[in-house]
Order: sequence, then C-alpha cells, then structure tokens
Amino acid sequence: MDPKEIKKILLVDDDIDLLEQNKLLLESRGFKVVTADSEREGFKAFEKELPDAAIIDLIMEQMDSGFILSYKIKKTEHGKKIPVFILTSATYETGFKFSSSSSEEKDWLKCDGILNKPVVIDELIAKLESFTA
Amino acid sequence: MSVEKQKTKILIVDDEKGIRIGTKSLLEDEGYDVSVADCGNKGIELGTSSEFDIAIIDLKMPDVDGLEVLSKIKSTFPNTICFIATAYASYETAIESTRLGAFGYIPKPFSPEELIYQVEQGIKQRNLILEAARLKQEREEKLLEIASEKSRLNTIIKSINEGVLVINLNGELSYFNYAALRYLNIQSIKIGEYVLEKLPIEIIELFNKITSADKYLLKTYSKQIEILPNNELVIEAACTPVPNPDGSLAGIVLILSNITQFKKIELIKSQFVSMVAHELKTPIAAVQGFINIILDDSIHLDREKEKEYLQRASVRLKNLTALVNDLLDISRMELKTKQREIEAVNLEEIINSTIQFLEFEISNKKINVDKNFQTNLPPIYADVNEISRLFTNLISNAIKYNKENGSIYITAHQEDDYINIKIRDTGIGMKPEEKEKLFNEFYRAKNEKTRGISGTGLGLSIVKKIVESYNGKIEVDSRYEYGTTFTIHLPINHN
Repeated sequence: MDPKEIKKILLVDDDIDLLEQNKLLLESRGFKVVTADSEREGFKAFEKELPDAAIIDLIMEQMDSGFILSYKIKKTEHGKKIPVFILTSATYETGFKFSSSSSEEKDWLKCDGILNKPVVIDELIAKLESFTA
Repeated sequence: MSVEKQKTKILIVDDEKGIRIGTKSLLEDEGYDVSVADCGNKGIELGTSSEFDIAIIDLKMPDVDGLEVLSKIKSTFPNTICFIATAYASYETAIESTRLGAFGYIPKPFSPEELIYQVEQGIKQRNLILEAARLKQEREEKLLEIASEKSRLNTIIKSINEGVLVINLNGELSYFNYAALRYLNIQSIKIGEYVLEKLPIEIIELFNKITSADKYLLKTYSKQIEILPNNELVIEAACTPVPNPDGSLAGIVLILSNITQFKKIELIKSQFVSMVAHELKTPIAAVQGFINIILDDSIHLDREKEKEYLQRASVRLKNLTALVNDLLDISRMELKTKQREIEAVNLEEIINSTIQFLEFEISNKKINVDKNFQTNLPPIYADVNEISRLFTNLISNAIKYNKENGSIYITAHQEDDYINIKIRDTGIGMKPEEKEKLFNEFYRAKNEKTRGISGTGLGLSIVKKIVESYNGKIEVDSRYEYGTTFTIHLPINHN
C-alpha cells in the first residue's frame, strides 16, 4: 500500500478526552478520522468504514479489549491489509510486559505495534507511514 | 543419708558356736557390724533379707549345705562378697564355690590376722564391684540420654515445616524429612541412594557450586525454585556446606521453605503497582494531550474551545488528586498509621450532612432521596471522618450510577449490637460477574451504561476496608438495569 493511500483512520478509546484529542490531531494532519469508544463499537465502525489504519486503546471494558479488537480486525480480509496499532499507557515501565520488538508476540497479538500514551502525533504518523511504505 | 560412713556389714553363718562368737567379737573389735546365723537356713534368711557387704559361710552345716547358702545369697545380692570357710578343703569344693560366686576360700582353722586380711580383701573387691556398677549405670544413663536426644532431634526435624535434605559429596542421601519430599514433589527417596538426579536442576547447581570449589566457604547459597508450574508450588532452597570434624567438606545440607504464599502476595503487589501506575498515567496523558492540542500550530481553536479543553484538563487533574488521596488513604489504612479519634457518632446526622454535601449532584440528576431511620437509633463508636467517608463513597456511587429522576432509599435500624444501614438505588445495576469484582482495587464496571462516569476505582475498596476495620460487614445485592442495594452492618461498639 502506498503511504499516500492512508486517508481514513479508525480511532478506538474509551477515554473520551483522548479520543477527541487524537481525532483533532490527526484531522489537522489531513486524515479523515472515525471514532468509537468500545471494542464492540470499534468493530462495527471498522466493518462499516473499512479504514486504512486503526489505532486502538488497550484497556477498555476488559484488560485486553484492544488486543481482542485488533485480533478480530486482523482476521478479516480488509484487516490483513491495514496497519493496526495498540495505544496504551500500560507499557513496560508500568509492569505490563509486552514489547513491540518481539515478532513472535506481534504475531500472537495480531497487531503491528504498541505505542505509548500520550501519543506524539508526528511519531504516530511516521509509524503508520513506515508500515505502508 | 547418714553423714558417718556406714559400717561394713558382715554376716557369719556357722553351726559352731565357738567360731561364731570368736569371729563376731574379733570383727566387731575391728569396727565391723556383725550378724550371725547358727545354721544354713538362718543364714539364707538373713543373707537374703538385707544386703551384707561380706558373708563368711561354713561349708558343712547339719541342715543346709554352705554352697547352697552361698548360691541363695548370691542370687539375691550378687554384690555381697562371700567366703566359704571349711576344714574339709578340697579341690572340687573350691572350684564349685568359685563357680557359685564365692570370692574366697578360708581354710579352718584360721588365725585372726588371716581372717582380717581376707575380709579386707573382700571389702576392696566389694568397693571395686560397686564402683564398676555405678560407672556402668552412669554410662547407661548417658547412652539413654544420647538416644533420647537423638530421637528428640529426629522428632523436631521431622515435624518442622521446612524440608531438610543432607547429601554427601557423592550425591548420596544421608538424611531427609518428609517435608522435603512434599516440597520437591518427589514420591520416595531412600537414605544412601544417589539422589541428585531426582532433584531440580537449581539444587544440583547449588550442590555443584559448593562441592566443586577448591576451598569451600561456610556460606549459604539459596535459590527460588518453581516446583509446580504457574506458581502453584514455589520453594526457596538454602544450601549450606557440612564440614567433617577435621574441617574438610562432608556434604551439604539443604533447607527447603515453601514460599508459594509469599510469591502470590508478591504477584498481587506488583499487579497492584502496575495498576496504580496505569491509573496515574492515564489522566496525565489526557492533560498532556489537551496541552499538546492547544500548543499545536496546525490546530486552530477559538477562545471558547480552548477554555473548554483547559476545563476538561482541570477535571482530570482533580480526579488525579482524588486518586492520589484515595491511594494514600488505603495505604494508611493498611499500615494502620492513621490515628483514630473514637467518639459517639450519630449516623443520621452523618448521612444527612453527606446528602447535603452531594446536593449539587443530586439535584443535577433530579434524584429523589428517601430516608427512613429508626427512632432513637443509638450512636456508634467510631472515627467520624472514616464513617463520613464511607457514606460519601456509597451515596455518591448511588448518584453516579443512578438514572435521571431516579431514587435513593436509605434506611437504618438496630439489630442486637449492630446498626444495619441499607442504601438502595434505582440505577443501572450490575451483572453478576461485575458484582464479584466490585470491591477489587481499580475495578470499575465498564459497559455502555457506565461510560462517562468518573471515579478512582478505589471508592468501594476503601468502603470495604473501613467497614471491616470496625469488624462490620458489607453486602451487595444488585439487578442489572434495576439498581443496587448495599447493606452495611456496623457494630455499635467495635471493640
């Protein structure tokens, strides 16, 4: 996929503040943003909108809602083609041990990377584009 | 015991009166205590009814033979020194009398010097025998003591909670207790068997570390070992060298302790720390996010929007402060460092002032609060701040998780030594699986209906800690979509 092809991004987060912030930031960089605030709504939005990328919060209804959603997305035909990133503040230093470096783990988690909150928007966009490049 | 040394007791058995009298007076002059018997039967009677040091027995007597007297006395008191006196000395009788335990043979007639000499030899012999017997008994007592000490040590090692294994340099088992089998999850081992191959690799490493060193140090090495997966059984093995009396290495002793519970607590603690870190980072991320947006050059916000974002950032900071305060409260409660001021607390007053405190939230949601208190409800003895905190948390939950135009019903009545308070709301209720986790730290029911409701996730955990610290009880009853009822039983006097 050509990086220029990323136009529409699905953002899923149950924290409405973070959801709105990231939406604004991405929109200001020229993306079209679709939002959802739960795993279920997220998957509905994915099926309806068929976004070019998805950025999903990890801890929502469940501790691993984000992984469940990314797993579901990656099982679809469309999902296999797009980058899916997990966004969380529960990273290594908080005691949760997942790293984005292990390909084995990534394969199991079915996502393309794990990003720290709060997100630095230009880094996020660079990540998305490097995935498709 | 008499202070005076006991006189040596001598028994003379002789049918000849002259000898009896002569010998008796001779020996009494020497300071001995002398008894006499004029026939064999009398001799047996005297010699077996009390212990004599010395007995001088005539061989030929009309009623009973001297050898029989000798044998009877010896069988009752083996330490009595017996002499056979006779005018008919023969080789056979001498042998026979010695066989029966006679110490000496005194041929008749005997001179006073000869008799006294023989008696003195007899006394020496008797003292030697008594001393030997005393030493023997002492030795037996010592052995018994050692044996019982050994069995006591055995019993102690067998009954302690720690596993003990002693292994020699060849890797053969020298000693073990059953706790060791349990902790190693081994069915059976035998003393003397090569045991290393049955032990976990970590223990073999400890063994090698000590036994393969050029010069061992009298130092303990330990390791934590997961015996059963998923932390079902975790032990700590402490391995210490056992020296020979000459200082060379004899083997090792392993002490195994079950640290499964400790590991579980450690895990809970680290999970708690992870959760705390996550809960602290989330609002910080939100505040940082608002700042980023306001500072971002490509986003142009009008004055109103900017103000709204700053207000929302401020709310997140307020919640963060509340969270930190809740955490500090929990920590203080757990460490019991909080100084309590126990006084008579009127529950109705506390609940009324809590409702007043939450008036804004109540009228915002148009909630009707209905109270029904038993008249003359006795006060409870408690810290007013803690009780007030308890009801603030519960009533604010009843508001937050209520519906618009909902109701809250609060009742209180006395039952024996307890006050029972019920707080019922007509809110969104809980699913059974949510109810289970309700009092867990940071648990917040998350579903379509709870979205947008803020909280630290510690409120009910604090409520439960307060109630339990007063030896009270809290129960929850809930129907999804219909509401939740909390019932609290607080003792009037918690001590």
